[in-house]
Amino acid sequence: MDGMQGAAGTVRSGEVIKPAIAFESVHLDLGGREVLRDVSFSLPSGSFGCVIGPSGSGKTTVLRLAGGFLQAKNGSVCVGGVPRSGPSRDVAVVFQDYGRALLPWRDSYGNVSLALEAAGVPRSERKDRIERLLTTVGLGKHLHKYPSEMSGGMQQRLQIARCLAQEPRILLMDEPFGALDAMTRQTLQDELLRLVSDSGMTVLFVTHDLEEALYLGDVVVALAANPGRVDRVVTVPLPSPRSQLATREHSEFLRLRRELFGLMQDGHG
Amino acid sequence: MRAVRELAVALTGLGIVLLVWWAVTETGLISRAFLPSPDAALAALQRGLARDLLAQTGATVILMFQGWLLASLVAIILGALIGLNQTARETLEPLLEFIRPLPASAIIPIAIAVFGLTPGMVLSVVAFGSLWPTLLATVHGFKSVEPRLVEVSRALGLSRLSFVWKIGLPNAVPDVLAGMRLSLTVALILAIVTEMLAGQQGLGTAILLAGRSFRAADIFAGLILLGLIGLISNLVLEAIEQRLLRWRAA
Ligand SMILES: Nc1ncnc2c1ncn2[C@@H]1O[C@H](COP(=O)(O)OP(=O)(O)OP(=O)(O)O)[C@@H](O)[C@H]1O
Ligand SMILES: [Mg+2]
Repeated sequence: MDGMQGAAGTVRSGEVIKPAIAFESVHLDLGGREVLRDVSFSLPSGSFGCVIGPSGSGKTTVLRLAGGFLQAKNGSVCVGGVPRSGPSRDVAVVFQDYGRALLPWRDSYGNVSLALEAAGVPRSERKDRIERLLTTVGLGKHLHKYPSEMSGGMQQRLQIARCLAQEPRILLMDEPFGALDAMTRQTLQDELLRLVSDSGMTVLFVTHDLEEALYLGDVVVALAANPGRVDRVVTVPLPSPRSQLATREHSEFLRLRRELFGLMQDGHG
Repeated sequence: MRAVRELAVALTGLGIVLLVWWAVTETGLISRAFLPSPDAALAALQRGLARDLLAQTGATVILMFQGWLLASLVAIILGALIGLNQTARETLEPLLEFIRPLPASAIIPIAIAVFGLTPGMVLSVVAFGSLWPTLLATVHGFKSVEPRLVEVSRALGLSRLSFVWKIGLPNAVPDVLAGMRLSLTVALILAIVTEMLAGQQGLGTAILLAGRSFRAADIFAGLILLGLIGLISNLVLEAIEQRLLRWRAA
């Protein structure tokens, strides 16, 4: 574990050269079924990558490979130039089911604290960092609320705060806003973009919402189903910072939306 | 407000029971040789407490709690092992499934052979019998950790020990407490029955002796004390539970 982090640390200086995430001809069978076929794509360091595709196209599987929860049989999955052999602290994961990913017996403070405890941060340093992180995600006034006392949006903010506490170089998110209402969703999209551009993290964001992918992503990896494979990789040449109104009316946004729309429909789950 | 209402309801229930009890004895529906009147039972209780009934009750309660605490400790450690560790589960579960159906009274002869007719013997029987509810509940509590939380702890790089302490244990607490409440009832029953069988000083023996000499009022004085022990210990456990599980009620 230590060795890996050390290696990742040295890669950091060369991040211009090595992509933060690289899939090369990844094949994967699960339970005797071909789930991924020849998946290749890469994300430059500091970029925001979105993975879209119809249900069953292997989006979650791609994310779990990047997270180190699954190992590819063929091909390679590298993060920071290092082949992935298991989860590591420099790669944080935001799960869609925030209700299950949080500790119900710890308040927001305690949930963020878990990440610092795991990293061996001394108690005396935790308090300031936790309060700062919770303020960053807009939970500064809810330090001592339990997850059961919070709305879905607040719980997802809390999960994001815990991930930020890991100080990851890479953030993996699996349909993080899928269960939230449209308003909360847009607010969180903008907050996420702000957080990410402040921190320089590389993001791999899974969604089945095409507009969300185009709004957030610098790169969109579109998967097709049966078996899961890369249909195309498009770069999104939209100006940053994005804006809920202007970006969504931008001609390039509409063009890409039209180009990829059929793809999302063709898939038969 | 709710507490006041609950208390009022409980007191009303108690009042009705006392009233029926009083009416039954007053009208002679059941002979006073078997069922003393409430005031006779209370008078016997008072008399008993003035003599050695208090000490006997104390002896029983202490054995019950010692056995129960010992059982809880063993159950939580064993349960955590079985719930978390595949190897421990495969080794221990068949053995435990063999021992578990044995009635606690069946091990009394063994306990007597090992400890003789001593309080230690009662303690061992109480501990054996009250082990199971907490053990089963603890195993379930540790087994039922949300798989997502296992992934979360892997992503955070949480050590195995921290995982047990910070995720496994808190996750098991509600089950453990529920199991411990059941175990406490079993412990009380076994403490009474075993001391009766072994002739050890205690509330059970006091009730038994009163029965043998047809002192109905004294039997009922003993029963009232038994009921109070159960009631009070349950209330204390409930209070502890509410405090530990605040996050749930929220
Ligand atoms: N552990 C597994 N064993 C067998 N098959 C699996 C396993 N995990 C996933 N699959 C299959 O792999 C395919 C891709 O699953 P995956 O969850 O990655 O899709 P997805 O794109 O995330 O879908 P959704 O949009 O519904 O979340 C599906 O057909 C699924 O049934
Ligand atoms: Mg999925």
